[in-house]
Amino acid sequence: MTRWAMVIDLRRCVGCQTCTAACRHANATPPGVQWRRVLDMEVGEYPDVKRAFVPVGCMHCDDPPCMDVCPSTATKKRADGIVTIDYDLCIGCAYCALACPYQARYRTDRVQFAYGEATASEEARLDPARLGVATKCTFCVERLDAGIAAGKRPGVDPDATPACVNSCISQALQFGDIDDPESNVSKLLASHQHFRMHEELGTGPGVYYVWDRAGG
Amino acid sequence: MNAPERLARPAVRKLATYCYQCVAGPDLLQVKVVDGVATEVEPNFGACDVHPGGGKVCVKAYGLVQKTYNPNRILTPMKRTNPKKGRDEDPGFVPISWDEALDTIAAKLRGIRETGLLDESGYPRVAASFGGGGTPQSYMGTFPAFLAAWGAVDMGFGSGQGVKCYHSEHLFGEYWHRGFTVSPDTPFCNYVVSCGANVEASGGVVGVWRHANARARGMKRVQVEPHLSVTGACSAEWVPIRPKTDAAFLFSLIHVMLHEAPRVRLDLAFLAHHTSSPYLVGPGGFYLREPETKKPLLWDRKRGAAVPFDTPDTDPALEGEFAAEAIEIGPDEDELGRGRLAGVPAFAKLVAHMERYSPEWASGICDVPASTMRRVANEFLDHAQVGATIEMEGKTLPFRPVAVSLGKTVSNGWGGFECAWARTVLATLVGGLEVPGGTLGTTVRLNRPLSERLESAKPGPDGFLRPPLNPTDKAHWSPRPNIRNAYRSMVPLAADGPWSQALGPTHFSWMFLDGTPEGLPKVTMPDVWFVYRTNPAISFWDTPAVVEKMSRFPFVVAFAYTRDETNHAADILLPDAGDLESLQLIRIGGSKYVEQFWEREGFALRQPAVAPQGEARDFTDVATELAQRVGLLDKYNASINKGAGGVPLKGANWDFSLAPDRAYSRDEIWDHVCRAASAELTSGAESHGLEWWKQNGLATKPFAHTDWYLFPTMVKNGLRFELPYQERLYRVGQELGRRLHEHGMHWWDKQLAEYQVLPKWKDFPGEWEQAMVSQGGTAETYPFWLLTARSMQYAWGANAGSQMMKEVAENIAGHKGVIMNTGAAVRLGIEDGDLVEIATPQRSVRARAQLRQGIRPDTLLLIGQFGHWATPHAKDFGMPSMNSLVTMSLSLTDATGSGADIVRVSVKRAPS
Repeated sequence: MTRWAMVIDLRRCVGCQTCTAACRHANATPPGVQWRRVLDMEVGEYPDVKRAFVPVGCMHCDDPPCMDVCPSTATKKRADGIVTIDYDLCIGCAYCALACPYQARYRTDRVQFAYGEATASEEARLDPARLGVATKCTFCVERLDAGIAAGKRPGVDPDATPACVNSCISQALQFGDIDDPESNVSKLLASHQHFRMHEELGTGPGVYYVWDRAGG
Repeated sequence: MNAPERLARPAVRKLATYCYQCVAGPDLLQVKVVDGVATEVEPNFGACDVHPGGGKVCVKAYGLVQKTYNPNRILTPMKRTNPKKGRDEDPGFVPISWDEALDTIAAKLRGIRETGLLDESGYPRVAASFGGGGTPQSYMGTFPAFLAAWGAVDMGFGSGQGVKCYHSEHLFGEYWHRGFTVSPDTPFCNYVVSCGANVEASGGVVGVWRHANARARGMKRVQVEPHLSVTGACSAEWVPIRPKTDAAFLFSLIHVMLHEAPRVRLDLAFLAHHTSSPYLVGPGGFYLREPETKKPLLWDRKRGAAVPFDTPDTDPALEGEFAAEAIEIGPDEDELGRGRLAGVPAFAKLVAHMERYSPEWASGICDVPASTMRRVANEFLDHAQVGATIEMEGKTLPFRPVAVSLGKTVSNGWGGFECAWARTVLATLVGGLEVPGGTLGTTVRLNRPLSERLESAKPGPDGFLRPPLNPTDKAHWSPRPNIRNAYRSMVPLAADGPWSQALGPTHFSWMFLDGTPEGLPKVTMPDVWFVYRTNPAISFWDTPAVVEKMSRFPFVVAFAYTRDETNHAADILLPDAGDLESLQLIRIGGSKYVEQFWEREGFALRQPAVAPQGEARDFTDVATELAQRVGLLDKYNASINKGAGGVPLKGANWDFSLAPDRAYSRDEIWDHVCRAASAELTSGAESHGLEWWKQNGLATKPFAHTDWYLFPTMVKNGLRFELPYQERLYRVGQELGRRLHEHGMHWWDKQLAEYQVLPKWKDFPGEWEQAMVSQGGTAETYPFWLLTARSMQYAWGANAGSQMMKEVAENIAGHKGVIMNTGAAVRLGIEDGDLVEIATPQRSVRARAQLRQGIRPDTLLLIGQFGHWATPHAKDFGMPSMNSLVTMSLSLTDATGSGADIVRVSVKRAPS
């Protein structure tokens, strides 16, 4: 089997938001819709304080709460772990957005452009199917599928890898098949301590956070 | 249509180009173009093995598509119709044709040529300001050739450079080890003390890439700074130091290494044979010299005698006191002593000098526990691995995986020299200067050749690198500067190369317009001022005053992307083709700025991915048109032939020179440049033209990794690092003082005191406290330090008007308001999100309070440079800048002509 997953190395992330911008670019999301973004978090009290940058987005859960609440069956989970939304089926009720513990879903009800009127690039990339429906990170599934079909290796070949991972300037974001013990992500997880966000909820996120070497 | 279908369409193209929007570049990218419209930016994956950051680009490059299609762009030439200028005056810009715009400019310029290039004060009548730390030159095509053809141009009207750069690092770094910018050897370094260096925000793709790799392999970085920056967040330890006290912190590290650690933990062989440490210092503070040759002497323990420094097979003494037959020569060749003179090795002088600077002493100044400083010093020593070597490309080199890096405000303004010196001495003590793992210079800008750092390491007097100093001797020093900021007269270290104008006291040009101090010719307004990719009305200091002064300039030509606060004073606006619309070939690779260390070198092409919007024109076409209309075509072409396009067109066995009397098209000019670049890369074997470069985007050849390090060149040339003792600088300062005083110029006396053989701690923060007091404030009523920090999303990118950049930047703290310590805010009754007033005794700004724990209680932080009032989109941000609160003053100007981004303020909830 294949289970696509993202592994995020928190030691590497600098919060630059290059992934945020690259995602907006690759997926032509409207202003304010950040399927991938990086949180700027602070813990502790001066002077004993730590600051960390935490990339977030759809976790592509094993047991996605968004899918459970979806009344129209628009949200589905593929066998390879990717959680999808069928815009033709979605009725825009936003139950999924409320159910998602990761605040990863968006709904845009009207056309929005950066400067009011559409620019040439915005016009070229406008997708009316995304209005009034839930949207979220897709793990760049079209690119992934096309890349695989062309014989490319996800997580290794850019043409089969999510745009955020391709863009990452600190190599904090990695993508691959965690069912393959030889994959880059499996090796990273095997050699490092890691966690998943809100593990206690039992959602089985497909996004892992690495924070130190194993035994470190 | 889904992505795979789009990819399959023949109308989809991907073009290789570059991003050089900030000095940490250039980086390489691809632009995806669908049916003639740029839709996406991607890394240049094909260059991942060439580019030291994996062929990636940072967040700013992803703004280029939106930047290209920004509806607020200026898309036609325009002229001003309101003769009155000023912030409150509507310029009344109206569209005009390119012919009218160029004819108007050319008529002005021809008039100047008839009158004379210099005005009654001897200053150039034409001035030009380009921002971005020299990066606009990678976008202005052949305009530099036009300026070279023109003749004298004043490029010293500050727009940020000079006063807001890493000034002491630039000037002293280049002086000591050809390090205009200085970097840890991050791929090999294991321990970095980073005093305010915000590399995760300002180090660009390569800096972030290298440091992330280093962290993952276990490099420890101690971040010493008043607020927990993004770099602090990514560091192993944060030391919240009191602002502007970094010199005391670094001095204490040196003290521990000299007075607490055993001597053998230092690299004594390096000190003895590769630095000035053994040079004997005479009673007057100058080196003892052999009477016949005037070579500095050292005490050779093998011979038991004083010998010239370059005597073979010596065992130089580093400590002790010795007598020698010698002369001591002071400023202006004054003979201070002759005969049997007592001398002490420079190293011993250093040891005695640093005795007073213990961690306990520094603790009260820095507000950092002495135990922390002592521990950091010892960790530095522990990691230095003195004595270790590494094999690299068949060579055995010293290996010292420790470094100190300095950030802005630390390395400029008062205290900057002391920090730069201490940083370099720390590296020197462990033999970690310019060796693998240690402290490295990245590039040169004051010594030639600019693209060949190692070649610039020419031998100078006394066994040191040739110093790029402006003359201070009576025969050559002149009180009549070539440009208004007077760098050549006032700042010997600024040298006199193409970059020197921007490295002088660039605020003098603005400050002295309304009152030139005694001795300098009256500072005048330029007859014509060209402005490109810079906005000093926002990015300089005392911005209200800068706006008022530029509003008096008689004729301003602004290459304009959108309306902004500086081109508000323009007479002509020219729309230049943008990053994705225009053409240029630039050099890449080698070792460039900040952390750009490559293992390849060559050239990359920026090619038009899309047609220019509106009537925007490529800079090269504009430059050629101006050259023709002003009657300079022959000189312009000659300048391109000489290399103003980045490559000399004639080489050893190739010649692609332009004919002098022909006006070439843009593509023709760059075709010639491309062919010369190909030839240069292949010693004449290839001569690929523009079409080849458009297809391939770049071409490179190997650049030896060992060429990152200057040490082997120093050894090869028999040179020593001019550290720790600063005999020459002391002499230069004495001579400069004499020259100035001979001309009645006493207003630079405070700066002259900075020329010291060994720097002393002074109350550097007190300089800014005193400035506040002189404005009528008190320490109690203005108790906060206001600082700034780099925003990767905005820095240098001219993208304050970008919707997307604002949107993504706001995910990072500080982009929505002023960062303030939560505890301090509670004491003042300020809650998160409150509108607060930040004030000096003279001015105030307002911002939303953003409460964080990661900042000292006595410090406020305003990220970036905002406060826009004319730039579309940005003017609605509601974000202020510290620049409008910072004054320009002589008392806050250090000897290198720089200042620092720091000001004492009060903060309170704004009255509703």
